[in-house]
Order: sequence, then structure tokens, then C-alpha cells
Amino acid sequence: MTKRELAFKWITYALCTLLLLFLRALLLGNWRLWGVLPFLPPIILACVVSLEESTPATIFGLVFGVCCDLFFHAPFPCLYTVSFTLAALTALLLSKSVFQQGFARVVANTFSTFFIVDLLSMLALATRSGTAFLPMLFFCLRETLVSCLLLVCYPLFFLIHRFYSI
Amino acid sequence: MKEFFGKHGLRILAIAAAAAVALSLLSFFASTSSLLHNAIGIITSPFRNAVFAVETWVEDKQHYYADYSDLLEENAALKKEVAELRQNEHQAQRDREENAYLRELLNLRAQRRDFVFESATILEHSNTNWTSTLTLNRGTNCGISVNDCVISAEGYLVGIVSEVGYNWATVLTVIDTDTELGALVFRTSEVVVAEGDFSLMGEGRLKLTYLPESATLLSGDYIVTSGLGGYYPSDLVIGTVESVKVDDDGLAQYAVLAPMVDFDALTEVFIIKDFTIVN
Repeated sequence: MTKRELAFKWITYALCTLLLLFLRALLLGNWRLWGVLPFLPPIILACVVSLEESTPATIFGLVFGVCCDLFFHAPFPCLYTVSFTLAALTALLLSKSVFQQGFARVVANTFSTFFIVDLLSMLALATRSGTAFLPMLFFCLRETLVSCLLLVCYPLFFLIHRFYSI
Repeated sequence: MKEFFGKHGLRILAIAAAAAVALSLLSFFASTSSLLHNAIGIITSPFRNAVFAVETWVEDKQHYYADYSDLLEENAALKKEVAELRQNEHQAQRDREENAYLRELLNLRAQRRDFVFESATILEHSNTNWTSTLTLNRGTNCGISVNDCVISAEGYLVGIVSEVGYNWATVLTVIDTDTELGALVFRTSEVVVAEGDFSLMGEGRLKLTYLPESATLLSGDYIVTSGLGGYYPSDLVIGTVESVKVDDDGLAQYAVLAPMVDFDALTEVFIIKDFTIVN
């Protein structure tokens, strides 16, 4: 793949991410299922990381994390930067050892991403305001399951990846 | 390209990670907002405005027909309420005159509540499950600063400004886990603390803690800001008591508060930039 094609691919990923975030805000708004809002950024990360190679995927995790930290309010300031980078690395580890490819890999990556993001959020809240762990754990599980519905966006990323791979 | 990443990938990663953590720390310790955060906020502000306009238009269209029958019913109820309020207003006018006369007789200083307001539009409701925030289209260019109170058009407390940029501000709503306010039970004048709670945030509720042992809270009791310490204005309505419960350890009581504001339906708010209260 030429540098030009590579640049176009990542621009398309970025535009697709923006479009999905826009559509999520427009169509779902503050709609809650099982008491939680479906959270899109970890899903986007899981989709891209599942399709890309190790170093670009990790850099995407880092850059996307910085962007999320700049746009979203989080329990502590660099939550997404740290957790998305860790999640990208974990996803790559999983893909090397357990899931080679396919939708199962995206689902596994989604779970691992939510696990890392939620674990750090829980630690931040527990140390700051003494929130009990058990209700938070149950909440994290609900958040992960509900957000999995947003995996419908995976084919979009898959098509982009396939288009530039041919 | 693959070779490039293979050779310099880790170095790039380390530099980027260091830069990201440095930026995050800057955000954490800055009194308003960090330079990059502020710049991003300024650049994205017009886009947020555009997205907000589209969202509002779509919602208006969705609700237009459904709302019509509700509006007819609401209109009838409001007409009745206006009649009652007019009657109360006449009574209040007479009471005000009597109060002024009695204050004059007793040589008491006149009570005064002066607020300097700035109206603002909500550009974004938070879309994460871990915080409850709003983004407003006003910032330091309009004299907004961190810890300013934000109220609804009805005068109910919405939240506190937590971060401010040139033309944007982030507000922590009263149900956010980081919010903690000195409060007062309006009926009994008991001093308590209203704070966000993680397990109640999803239900749109907050917690009332440090209840005195003798507290006799009733469902529907109004809870207002105490104004103690002079950080926030007093008598801003936070919410009403919904229920009284016992902590997990069984030692202390707390109350569940229902805020007066429907955060999802809010589009316009007022920021209290400055206040003077003389009691």
C-alpha cells in the first residue's frame, strides 16, 4: 500500500468515526436501555484495532484516546488516552493468541476495551468518592452488553478496510 | 511504511504517550482549561452549534404531532394555574407592603438578592455513563468562571461550571458524582449536604447526606442551597425529597432527592456570574 493510499484509508476511518458519533448523538441522544447509555467510542476502537496491524492500531488507540479526552468529560483527565492505548495493546495480544480474525475477535476486543475503560473509571470513583464496587461492576456489565448493540457499525469499518486492502 | 513503524513505532508511541499525559496533567491542574483543550473547544464550537441545530430540528419534527394533544391539556391546566397565581400575587403584594412597613418600624435592613445573569444555550448533553455534564455556548468571553452556578429559566439549580474556555463551558449537573453542595431543608432549616451518587445518577437522582439525628424529612420537602461560606447563592432550589433510606452500614440515614430540572429536556439555562445577597 502506498503512502497516499494509507493516508486516504486513515482519513476515511476518521470521517467514518465522526459520522458515527454524529449519528449516535442524532438518533440515540439520551436514550437509555437497561438504565445505561450505549457508549460508542470503545466500539469504534475495537472495530479498527481488530482490522489493523499492531503499530498503526496502537497509535490509533492513543490518538483516538487523546481526542476523546479532549471532547468527553471523564472521571479523570487522561482516562481515554491511557485506557484506549492499553485496550489496543490488549486487543493485539488477544488477536495473536486467541482470536485470529472474524466477528468473534471484534466482540472479544469490545469486552476487553470496556473492561479496561470501566476498571480505571471504577478505581477513580472508588478512591475519590468511595463508591461501592459491586453496583459499579453490575453497571459496567450492563454498559458493555448494551453498547454491544452498536457493533452494527462493524461492517462499515470492515468495508473500508477491505476497499483499501484490494 | 511497515518498516518505518517497526523501527520507530515504539519511539513514536513513547513520545505520544508522554505528550498525552502531559496535556492531561495540564488540563487537570489548570484553573480554567488547558491551551489545547481551549483551542479544540473554540474550533469545534461552530460544529457543535450546527449539530445542536440539526438535533433540535429532528427532535422538533419527531415530537410535533405527539405533543399537540398534550399541549391542549397542558394549556387548560395552565389557565387554571395562572388564575390561582394571580390571586397569590395579589396576596403577596399586600404581604410585601406590610413587610416593608414592619421592617421600617423595626429599623431592619431591607433584604436584597441581586444576581448578574448570562443566558446560555446547551450545545451538548454528556454521552458517557460515568459523568453527567452539559456543554454551554458561553465562556470567559462573557465573564463566566469556574464554580459559577447554572440555573434553569424557572430558577432551579442545574449545576456548577467545572471547566471554562473562551467560548464554551462545561457544567457538572447536580446529579454528577463530583457535585457536592451545602444545602438546607426549606421547611425545617436543617443544614445538610446534597451530593451526586453513582448508583443514583443513572436514575437522575442525587443523595442528601449528613442528616441530623433529629431530622424529620417528609417526602416532597424542598431542598435549597444553604449559601454557607458564600461560594454559591442561597435559596436556589435543588430538588425535593423522594424517600429516606438507611446506609448499607445501618448507622446513618440519607435521603434520595429528585432534582427539579429535567436535564434531558433542557435547552436554555442561565449562569449566575455574580451575586449579592443581603438578609
